[in-house]
Amino acid sequence: MNKPANNLRNAFSTIGKSVKREDVIEKVTGEGVYVADLKPVGMLYGKIKRSEVAHARIKRIDVSKALAYPGVKAVLTHEDVPRVLHYGSPHPRSVSCTKDQYILDDKVRYWGEGVAAVAAISEEIADEALDLIEVEYEELPAVFTPEEAMKPGAPQIHEVGPGGNLVLDPVRVERGDVDKGFAEADFVLEGEFSGGRPMPGYMEPNVCLADWDGSGKLTFWTSTQSSFMVRGILAEVLGLPRTKVRVLVDHMGGGFGAKQDCFQHEFLCALLARETRKPVRMEFTRCETFLAGRSRHPFKLWLKQGFRKDGTITARDMRIVFDSGAYGSHSPGVTTVGTNSATSLYRCENVRLDGRAVYTNTPIAGAFRGYGVVQTYYALDIQMDEAAERLGMDPADLKLKNAVREGDIAPSGHAIVGHGLEACIEHGTRVFDWKGLRQGARCPDPAASHVRKGWGLGCEMHGSSAYPGIKEQGNALIKVNEDGSVTLMTGAAGLGTGAHTALAQIAAEELNMPFESVSVVHGDTDAVPWDIGAFASHTTYLVGSATRMAAAEARAGILRRAAEKLQTTADALDMVDGRIFLRASPDSGLTVAEAMGPTPGIPSANILGRGTYEPTKSYSFAAHFVEVTVDTETGLVTVDRVVPVHDVGKVIHPIAAAGQIEGGIQQGIGHTLTEDYIIDTETGRSLNAGLVDYKMPLSMDMPDIDTVILEAAPDPGGPWGAKGVGEDPIIAIGPAIANAIHDAIGVRFHHYPITPEDILNALNEKERQS
Amino acid sequence: MRRFAYHEPKTLEEASRLLVDLGENAHVLAGGTDLFVEIRERLRDVSDVVNIKNIPGMTDITWDPAVGLTFGALVTARQLETLPGVQRTYPNFAEALRLLASIQVRNRATVVGNLCRASPSADTIPPLIADGAIIHIYTPKGMRRMPLAEFFTGPGRTRLERGDIATGIVIPAPAPDSGRIYLKHGRRKAMELATVGVAVSLDRDGDTCTNARIALGAVGPTVLRASAAEALLKGRKITDELIAQVGAQAMAECTPISNVRASAEYRRSMVGVLTRRAVKTAMEATQ
Repeated sequence: MNKPANNLRNAFSTIGKSVKREDVIEKVTGEGVYVADLKPVGMLYGKIKRSEVAHARIKRIDVSKALAYPGVKAVLTHEDVPRVLHYGSPHPRSVSCTKDQYILDDKVRYWGEGVAAVAAISEEIADEALDLIEVEYEELPAVFTPEEAMKPGAPQIHEVGPGGNLVLDPVRVERGDVDKGFAEADFVLEGEFSGGRPMPGYMEPNVCLADWDGSGKLTFWTSTQSSFMVRGILAEVLGLPRTKVRVLVDHMGGGFGAKQDCFQHEFLCALLARETRKPVRMEFTRCETFLAGRSRHPFKLWLKQGFRKDGTITARDMRIVFDSGAYGSHSPGVTTVGTNSATSLYRCENVRLDGRAVYTNTPIAGAFRGYGVVQTYYALDIQMDEAAERLGMDPADLKLKNAVREGDIAPSGHAIVGHGLEACIEHGTRVFDWKGLRQGARCPDPAASHVRKGWGLGCEMHGSSAYPGIKEQGNALIKVNEDGSVTLMTGAAGLGTGAHTALAQIAAEELNMPFESVSVVHGDTDAVPWDIGAFASHTTYLVGSATRMAAAEARAGILRRAAEKLQTTADALDMVDGRIFLRASPDSGLTVAEAMGPTPGIPSANILGRGTYEPTKSYSFAAHFVEVTVDTETGLVTVDRVVPVHDVGKVIHPIAAAGQIEGGIQQGIGHTLTEDYIIDTETGRSLNAGLVDYKMPLSMDMPDIDTVILEAAPDPGGPWGAKGVGEDPIIAIGPAIANAIHDAIGVRFHHYPITPEDILNALNEKERQS
Repeated sequence: MRRFAYHEPKTLEEASRLLVDLGENAHVLAGGTDLFVEIRERLRDVSDVVNIKNIPGMTDITWDPAVGLTFGALVTARQLETLPGVQRTYPNFAEALRLLASIQVRNRATVVGNLCRASPSADTIPPLIADGAIIHIYTPKGMRRMPLAEFFTGPGRTRLERGDIATGIVIPAPAPDSGRIYLKHGRRKAMELATVGVAVSLDRDGDTCTNARIALGAVGPTVLRASAAEALLKGRKITDELIAQVGAQAMAECTPISNVRASAEYRRSMVGVLTRRAVKTAMEATQ
């Protein structure tokens, strides 16, 4: 079945409206069930013993005391678990993954890695038993930064891979003639950039619950964004047919991309349950979400661009090195996407890029909202600001002049649809009063000369869907019920974003039935169609399109059934707001329930709509306008106001979309100013694995945000032109803040987080030099 | 969370005896906002929890113009913070309370608990030391009272001995012409541990400072008095030059360390900035 054409109608009944989310009552009353709320009869508690060295061979591991401890039911070490080399990142349909991990190995590769697992009758006993496990290590030389890891003769962390501690072969991209481009430049800017180790900080720590039935089938509840991938890798590593693994996920307390690995604890939980023949639940502490979760990749980047006097970019040369930590996880994808992103955003015909990911003996970096692009565009956008300064141009004018345009070749290799970025910059410049503010005083109160204000702009573009890295596929089934309601069956996870509400809106819109008549069944691999996972800002775009196709098929089925009852043909009928009628006489007709329902002597109908959609890619765009205050005596930066302007093609649920944008800004402010998971570069120990000293901004720290959502560049690939919004906001806010700080105090920062201490040191240095 | 035994004594005498008998891993529970987190995160070994919330006589808040403000060990931070009299008379203490953790935590946490935890970065300690607060302690030998400034011996350590229980605080009434302020430096507006905290309480005669107390938080093993900086202020007319000298002297007197929150150098320079700002504001403040 073909995808329905867009813009069939001008007026929409459901999409574009902020309908009440389908999960809102459960969530606000606390009735919503998360995996940590489940407690089947006889359930045991699993805990993981973690390494206290960064790189070592395990010489001896003695669990006898732990096993003898009252209440302990099982202990597993590397000697007890299947030894299968497997992927960490569950995208087996992608070429971009690395088989580099075992469930447990006789080697540890970072401080905090699991070395054994315990199941006991209480969490306290399991925790106490961990102390009774004796591990003797033979320490190995370790490397904690990519610089150390890439040195000739550096200790090798893995036996697999291309060598030199590379996770994958370098990603190289070349377009045009870079040397010629530099030769044509009037001036060249060159700079080094770097970034810390931000964590996703989801509210719900990783948690899973495993239960095996008498037939040898594993039922596995887990907080994951990609249930079918967890099923696939669990089955592969445990040596089971996929149908013997059922993965369930209901509500999730966030994921931000980082819950799309198959984690060590998930295998161990399943194996403890098999060993004890009891259900076992394993829940991370907050500390473990740092040690065993996934961070954004720390990075080092070198960027050189040539400019003409009119602001044209003549050449771009970039090298980026991502710190993958001890395992590959999503590094291949992040390196590919992050590196390729530098082909675009600001137009340049001559581009040469080199991206690498390097193993180090530090916690694992993985997928995280922004997926390599946060790092690249931080550098790219700040250097554009520098170019504007050099040219004596307004940065907004320079960015607008170079903004990616319709028909330009995107990082994915596609032609860009629409002028989304230009629209965002132009609109935001007006509503923020960019020009007016920038003409104002940087020191608003002469009596408080240490308080300075600045205004900055950051831009971004980001793809919905992971194509071409992954050949994507969205699936949906819609079942029409005998009471006239419909059930949408989808494998797309609901991370807390409101994705299921958006999908239900899309179904209701296409069916032309009330939103309330659509319910959603999700998160059960035994019941819903195969799903690739909720990532890459693609759920609304990809699964939304599949849902719309399924709804169109279901609608046709309903009309055929009604035609039988009315003894006419389906094409003589129409359905509006759930009422079916003859086009020729709109006043008479019947409801969907009357069409579908069993009546004496006539059974109900079996109507199923099916949608499968294999998209390419669309790009969303954003420009963030930021006002900051800098206290030049303390170095404290306050973000006072943000005007984020986003082009999302067609907005399905305005409040949910704005929620994504505000949340991305909150995370982005944290990454830029306060958040950094710090690893001691002498020992590899985590120095702030917890929310006391890993400082996420809280509600009190949030600025005023006046979100603007534009529908400037609808993409034919999404339902009614809709594109993604999940990742975009975290990308633009960072450079916007860095540029605003420069505007306030005249100092450039090429790294994040920019701490108060960095600000003071830079101001002192500036004073020394002048 | 690790397992522990739980006790609910009905009197101070009974609680004290329990603490003596149960040994050093028995801990008092009042608000519990630090204790339970520390047990859960295995920062403290706790064999026994002795809940003192059923002991009568420690929930009162009283004001006497001659004595000052008196409150018991079970009075929560939020109770004190929301009292208009506290906000008016001790704006420095009220500010420290407002900046302590979050409203949810302050609804449970007790001020005396915050003191007994003896963190060098505790928000309530600097203003109470600067205002000359007295702590009341039940001991097996009888009641004791001690200036809060002498109560702390190191990070997490106080002069409380086994069987001792802090029962309350008295903050003397401020002098008629005086100013007081607490400035907290942190990177968040709530749920934040101070990188540096500075409390300044001044008695004044016109634009002359007649007496000064400066307490510095998070820049030493305990909250510190900057006595030499105080001496510079005493009996002097306050000028910008003097304020700069006082700030420099406070920087010289503090002994910060470097950790993930900030470097020692940064903390020291913040002591200078905050002390200067605090002295200026305390001189201008109207009580």
